[in-house]
Amino acid sequence: MASVDVQNLRKVYTRDSQDIVVLDGMHLQVPDGEFVALMGPSGSGKATLLNCIAGIDRPTSGTVTVGGTDVTSLSEGALAKWRSRHVGFIFQFYNLIPVLTAVENVELPLLLTNLSKEQRRERALTALGVVGLADRATHYPRQLSGGQEQRVAIARAIVTDPDVLVADEPTGDLDAKSAEDILNLMETLNHEFKKTIVMVTHDPRAAARAHVERHLDKGVLQR
Amino acid sequence: MKYLPYVLKHLKRNWIRAASTLAGLVLCIFLICVLQTVLDAMRQTTADADPSRIITRHAVSVNFRLPLSYKPRIQAIPGVRNVAIWTFFGGIYRDLKDYFPNFAVESEDYFRMYPEYRIPPDQYQEYLHDMQGLVMGSDVAAKYGFKIGDQIQMESIQPLYRVHGPMKFNVRAIYTAEPARASRVNLGLAFFHFKYLYETVKDSAGSYAGAGTYNIQIANPSQAAAVMRAIDANFENSDVQTKTETEGAFLAGFVNLIGNLSGLLNTVGVAVAFTILLVTSNTMSMAVRERRTEIAVLKTLGFSGGLVMTLVVVEGLALGVIGGLVGIGLAQGAVRYMTQLPFMGFILGNFSGLSVSPVVIAITFSITVGVGTAAGFVPAFGAYRARITDMLRPA
Repeated sequence: MASVDVQNLRKVYTRDSQDIVVLDGMHLQVPDGEFVALMGPSGSGKATLLNCIAGIDRPTSGTVTVGGTDVTSLSEGALAKWRSRHVGFIFQFYNLIPVLTAVENVELPLLLTNLSKEQRRERALTALGVVGLADRATHYPRQLSGGQEQRVAIARAIVTDPDVLVADEPTGDLDAKSAEDILNLMETLNHEFKKTIVMVTHDPRAAARAHVERHLDKGVLQR
Repeated sequence: MKYLPYVLKHLKRNWIRAASTLAGLVLCIFLICVLQTVLDAMRQTTADADPSRIITRHAVSVNFRLPLSYKPRIQAIPGVRNVAIWTFFGGIYRDLKDYFPNFAVESEDYFRMYPEYRIPPDQYQEYLHDMQGLVMGSDVAAKYGFKIGDQIQMESIQPLYRVHGPMKFNVRAIYTAEPARASRVNLGLAFFHFKYLYETVKDSAGSYAGAGTYNIQIANPSQAAAVMRAIDANFENSDVQTKTETEGAFLAGFVNLIGNLSGLLNTVGVAVAFTILLVTSNTMSMAVRERRTEIAVLKTLGFSGGLVMTLVVVEGLALGVIGGLVGIGLAQGAVRYMTQLPFMGFILGNFSGLSVSPVVIAITFSITVGVGTAAGFVPAFGAYRARITDMLRPA
């Protein structure tokens, strides 16, 4: 069964009474445990597709089914709850909360669960251990390098053990060495933890680490 | 509760801005608490006035003196039981900061109509027999360490009373309050014989050596209006006309010497509260605008719009609660010392244990909680409605 199933997805923005078609009848299947890279020029619709899969944007028409749930049919509240349990999002610019330590950032999604304070802290430390930053748990984002910040962000994305990880140019703000570390980590998450990963990237080296590369142009999947 | 540390950490994020806003809130609540407490105390002072006592003063102002010849004429009016001269001396002991209100009175008549002043009989007799005798409240004695037999000097702030320099006094009695009527007694005052003042200044003060007011005890409080009319009518065609009013009205008029204090203080309070609402709203708006991306991240992680909105409102609320508690605490501390200020002590002296009342605390705390919530609500609603993808986009 496909972990992600996108059917006839269409997204149209209206700007100054003009319709701009961003996704034009898109079909995409990502099997369970697959690592897919979405590539394409700016404005091709890859980020919008990623946002629709993650449930943070709604399509104009079509369906997005993730782990058997049609996310396009969920209400705002149900969608938020679904995101908290089933999707881990990795941003290009990490987007850690600067006033929280690494472990507090990782713990943030667990605030939405019924876990006790001790259980939350234990799981957050475990996630930090997976990304190799257990010794930086009490450090604030400003005390970490870019690569370390992204690893904390990845720990935050996996701490709830989601079905799917979506990553929006996760290496786009990193130097080559840090980018390599992040890609290794994502490969580990895919191989060892069997996470389905959908990654948007402009970097061919990053895309090469995925099982499958899909190219978009003008809202249509090319290959 | 599990979200509270997250909210409080955000308050520390831009601590200068948060501290400035808090300082504004504290000042607002402090001012409102203090102003309302002063107003309450003033209202209480006039409310506690004895209805059987009326006061005759110069028709133009209490600052002018009445002829001494008026006393027998007032005494002769039907319904008048007792008449005593009361004159503000304004003597300064050592330095202005050591000021306590003091008055020259016709002692026997005066203390007969003010039985709430409890003076030990032996001390009272000593006082009556000493021309330079001084009777003072227990608060004054305690504050300056005065004992029976001490000699002190006081020089009046009024030029015509200090022509001959400071006047000497012997502490002869210390009064306390009759428990049943304690709220009517200001323990921060001192009294001496009017005759002593008169003999000292009669050759130099001219008409100013007269009576400040005639404090009058009437036989029947229900006839107060008629007696007051009769007294003023008696002097209608004299050079010095009089104005007679109840003790409560006299005290209220004294307070109003400094203007419509109640209206002024209330206006200031409302203006301050409104200003601080705008300041806090601005702070919250800036705080939320700066955190567009973070709010988008929270929503991406699964925080619902309602929860994000609540977190922002709670942030404003926390500012309000902290500001309110600190402001009320400071005001509570400040009003305890207010009666020791020279002028305020005179007005509020009956309230040596002055404190911010529970009603004022409840009102001001509600204001601060309301301001904090209102200030957080608008940006919180914006955060609630905002789409994740819009907020993730650079502004």
